[in-house]
Amino acid sequence: MKLKKALAVALAAGMTMSCAMCVSADELETISLTVWGAEEDQDLLGELASGFAETYAEYANFDIQIGVESESTAKDTILTDVEAAADVFAFPDDQLNALVSAGALLNLEEYDEMLQAYAGTSLETIKSENVEGSVDAASIDGSLYAFPRAADNGYFLYYNASVLSEEDVASWDSLLAAAAEAGGKVGMVLNSGWYNASFFYGAGFTTGLNDDGTTTIDWNGTSEDGYTGVQVTQAMLEIAANEAFMAIADGDTSNQIASGDLVAVVSGTWDAEACQTAFGDGYAATKLPTYTIGEDQVQQGSVSGYKYVGANGYSENSGWAVLLAAYMTSESSQEEYFTQRQSGPSNIAVASSDAVLENVAQAALAEQSAYGQVQRVGDKYWDPTATFGENIAQGTLAVDDEAAIQEALDTLVEGVTAAIE
Amino acid sequence: MSGFFKAIGKWFSTFGEAVVHGDAFVKLSLLWMGAGYARRKQYIKALIMTVLEVAVIAFTFTFAVQYVSKFGTLGTVQMEKVFNMETMKSEFNDYDNSFQILLYSLISFVVWFAFIVIWMRNVVNVRRLQVEAELGHHINTFREDMRTYLDEKFHITLLTLPVLGIVIFTAIPILLLILVAFTNYDQNHMPPTSLFWWVGFDNFISLFGGGGLTSTFGYAFVRVLGWTLVWAFFATFTTYIGGILLSLLLNSSKTRLPKLWRTLFVVTIAVPQFVSLLLVRNFFSNGGIVNTICANIGLTGFLRNIGLISTSYIPFLSAPGWAHVMIILINIWIGVPYQMLIATGVLMNLPSDQLESARVDGASPFQIFRKITMPYMLFVTGPALVTDFVKNINNFNVIYLLTENVYTTTNQAMANSQAKEVDLLVTWLFRLTQDYYNYKMASVIGIMVFIICAVFTLFAFNKLISGDREEEYQ
Amino acid sequence: MTGSKKKQRGIFLHNLLIAALAIFWLIPIIWLVTTSFSAYSGMNTSTFFPQEWSLTHYKQLLFETDTVQQFPQWFMNTFIIACFTCVISTFFVLMVAYATSVMRFPMRKPLMNMAVILNLFPGMLAMIAVYFTLKSFNLTNSYAGLIMVYSASSGLGYLIAKGFFDTVPRALCESARIDGCNEARIFTNIIIPMSRPIIVYTVISSFLTPWMDFVYAKMILNAGISSKYTVAIGLYKMLDKSLINSYFTIFCCGGVIVSIPISILFMIMQKFYVEGITGGAVKG
Repeated sequence: MKLKKALAVALAAGMTMSCAMCVSADELETISLTVWGAEEDQDLLGELASGFAETYAEYANFDIQIGVESESTAKDTILTDVEAAADVFAFPDDQLNALVSAGALLNLEEYDEMLQAYAGTSLETIKSENVEGSVDAASIDGSLYAFPRAADNGYFLYYNASVLSEEDVASWDSLLAAAAEAGGKVGMVLNSGWYNASFFYGAGFTTGLNDDGTTTIDWNGTSEDGYTGVQVTQAMLEIAANEAFMAIADGDTSNQIASGDLVAVVSGTWDAEACQTAFGDGYAATKLPTYTIGEDQVQQGSVSGYKYVGANGYSENSGWAVLLAAYMTSESSQEEYFTQRQSGPSNIAVASSDAVLENVAQAALAEQSAYGQVQRVGDKYWDPTATFGENIAQGTLAVDDEAAIQEALDTLVEGVTAAIE
Repeated sequence: MSGFFKAIGKWFSTFGEAVVHGDAFVKLSLLWMGAGYARRKQYIKALIMTVLEVAVIAFTFTFAVQYVSKFGTLGTVQMEKVFNMETMKSEFNDYDNSFQILLYSLISFVVWFAFIVIWMRNVVNVRRLQVEAELGHHINTFREDMRTYLDEKFHITLLTLPVLGIVIFTAIPILLLILVAFTNYDQNHMPPTSLFWWVGFDNFISLFGGGGLTSTFGYAFVRVLGWTLVWAFFATFTTYIGGILLSLLLNSSKTRLPKLWRTLFVVTIAVPQFVSLLLVRNFFSNGGIVNTICANIGLTGFLRNIGLISTSYIPFLSAPGWAHVMIILINIWIGVPYQMLIATGVLMNLPSDQLESARVDGASPFQIFRKITMPYMLFVTGPALVTDFVKNINNFNVIYLLTENVYTTTNQAMANSQAKEVDLLVTWLFRLTQDYYNYKMASVIGIMVFIICAVFTLFAFNKLISGDREEEYQ
Repeated sequence: MTGSKKKQRGIFLHNLLIAALAIFWLIPIIWLVTTSFSAYSGMNTSTFFPQEWSLTHYKQLLFETDTVQQFPQWFMNTFIIACFTCVISTFFVLMVAYATSVMRFPMRKPLMNMAVILNLFPGMLAMIAVYFTLKSFNLTNSYAGLIMVYSASSGLGYLIAKGFFDTVPRALCESARIDGCNEARIFTNIIIPMSRPIIVYTVISSFLTPWMDFVYAKMILNAGISSKYTVAIGLYKMLDKSLINSYFTIFCCGGVIVSIPISILFMIMQKFYVEGITGGAVKG
């Protein structure tokens, strides 16, 4: 096995050398690649692209076009026309399955040899360099489909330490009480299955994804930890009904932070700057609080998501696309992502660097990640869970009407588990 | 309708006659389209026809055949690829793309249909040439023929390009999507990676409760349809009546500076809709400025006390009922100035003698409005009212810009079918294609929208507006 | 005396009502304009008027382009697209209108009925197919493609112009024909010069299409290259979740600047709009 690999490397190296020699005689070939990333990352992407072109200048000239496609909508644009999508693009973990089943991502295992020959690394090395969860979430049947770039696609609690104490933020009860006293509000998005699942995950409920793209969900039953979905929903209703709680509409979080009414908010690293501005010296972050079911305090779970850079399955120069994706997620690139964009690295070495450890938001994220899990769900998950959360936010369910809550949970499960058509 | 079939019958009988009675060259034209012209020494026309024929044949064999031959199955070869490390490129097999097969087959059918029409027409034409030659009439030279395209055949010159544009950019896409309604083109069957195939009427059956869909799809369809009709009704009539009232108000003799006022109203519609509507949406959002003001003046608390709302904000655009009313109100805001402009124009032409005599008879302003102004307005703008209604059924912009990403339904049954209470059929259709890639059901809904609009239009034109008024005025 | 006083009061109340309505109608517009002069770049949800006034966002919009906002470039792009769209659309509309209004030929009625039927289909439905049709001609991500989408089917909107042409006295055309004019001459020398209102109306309304549309533009210019956007998609993308907080005021500035030329065109158009549309409506 080892011998075979060594042979392959030698062969590949020989080939590339001969190739490099044969082309260096004439003009170098020009390789055109397109990259899609978030609006905020554009400058950084430009730097990384020119770094890549320099690194591989001996093989070809690179003409790298950088386009704007926000990570959260990458899937929608790509699936509309896979062939027209960028060669290399960034996306969050929940889009991976849909992208793979539409053939929009290359199976990176086929490119292992090439990586060894050109990039001086291997898939195995890359897998070992990044946190395990990030690799698992991008693997299907043992094959890796995208390079992990960030491990910060999760949420935790920001709070204003000049108003709230560390004890206050330990549980929802004390948090809401202290906030009410201070005349401030605690904000959280409820009408999104990405946020409201945190209560269920905390109580031991699960979601999962089948091979055919349908979702499994057990929220209408009893969890491993012995709680029922009704109990969790009741706890959520209690929190939502509290005067000091503000149910923020999905996507409106940063606006609400800026408005200054909040003393604590559930959000992720992307709002770090907004919170810093709003809370000033009191800026602090920690894991999510516990919430009350009966006599018990249950630690609120969370989604710990990852962000990836993948290569398009229909990319013409797929080899170069993979190399570029690998380059953009390398240790040094992730370092750049952290320093310029405060993006939490998935690379273990970068994540354990002092700068990252000292960062308030990253530390809270790391603390919460012990209770987090990767959310693997199909497309049918989102609308029903959003509606379920909206019902809780608007208080259309009564806390003591267990039958109605059970019915709502049953309807939710029915919608989420529906077949994909 | 019968006229249509008669015309078709006549077309074929003329063609048959031409073939039967034509001379050898006319008959030869069936094979070589230039033959008849060449015989009458119209060499340029003969050349053009020959080139056209060769082009269509070339199109058929180099392009059309490879797609049309797969039209029955929509392709069988799945995509496969291998990475070639030497070239650093992926190498794909010669795979089938179902959507491409569908599209190119359709284009081929349209081209062939057009060609067959030209081909039949050609035989009729050369037969006419033959008759005229036999009668010893003058045979047009090419130059003379060309000149007819600026005279009695000028309509052909005028219409060719616009019709071509409409065929390519409107007719073919619509036909294509009608075909998609009979396939299983959805997220699990997305070209180029996967193939899709024909499924007959399955999608229509499942829309009407035949299974295969979430159990609530039919339910959601009925709800969305209901709101679509309610919306279209209110959106059409509120702006219509509002426009008339506003124009009466502005054009009254009591109004000072009517031009200035009119300009101010028109400013609201001059701001592009995506700007004004996105702005209004943020204006009325749950944490928006209007809510802040309402909370400050105590309106929010008041509404909470009387039990109209259960939230700490007024859900202007985020709860059913509230959102429905708000959407119609906002539509009045952007729609009334348009209607005001139209009404102003129409009212200027209001027969003044009638008004005068009514006034002399001592009719009150309201009576004049009811007995003279409104009937006249309805008579003149009746057809426009019908088209407005259809336009509102398909009014994508207002609903999409106001509710997308803002409105979350609380109706679980709707959510399970990806619908919302404020969706029109078109916005639902749009979301099904954009977020769920459910093209087959979107097409089915689209066809339903068409049927609804068609039935309504036919009904309205037959019942409300009698007769064909076109010639009346010319 | 009392009668005239009452009358005066009536006039006063009448104008007061109009003024109240106008103010009501203008509130969002006033908010747009005042917000654009705010010093704060996110959305202000606590007060109607900005707490601090400033011109910085206009400066940023016009002179300090970044990767997100390239307004001057977008403005140029949209302007170019609008010019081409406007020329092609105007020709198409006038051509179809003349053929269906003035000329009589066997296919006239069937064609007009086809147009009615096509107009009943929801345009959104056809969008994805239009996209793939363009793609097969390699016209996606090009202005040519976008121009075609905006103008190719414009012939379908011929009804208003046709209505206007219907009002031109037939006797004029007849006498021209007797004088030996061919149809082309009648079209260019008689009908066109008489149709100023409808031409202005068509020109302006087709010129405005690219400024207003964001659905097709978003679909066709899908390479994500910001400098290639039209104003509509550029501004629309500024309200993206992750950007709204830093770009909301700039969005307002952009909205104001786009609205100025459009408003002026609208002011010019409204006169012709009334003439054109009612000319058509009255005369069937």
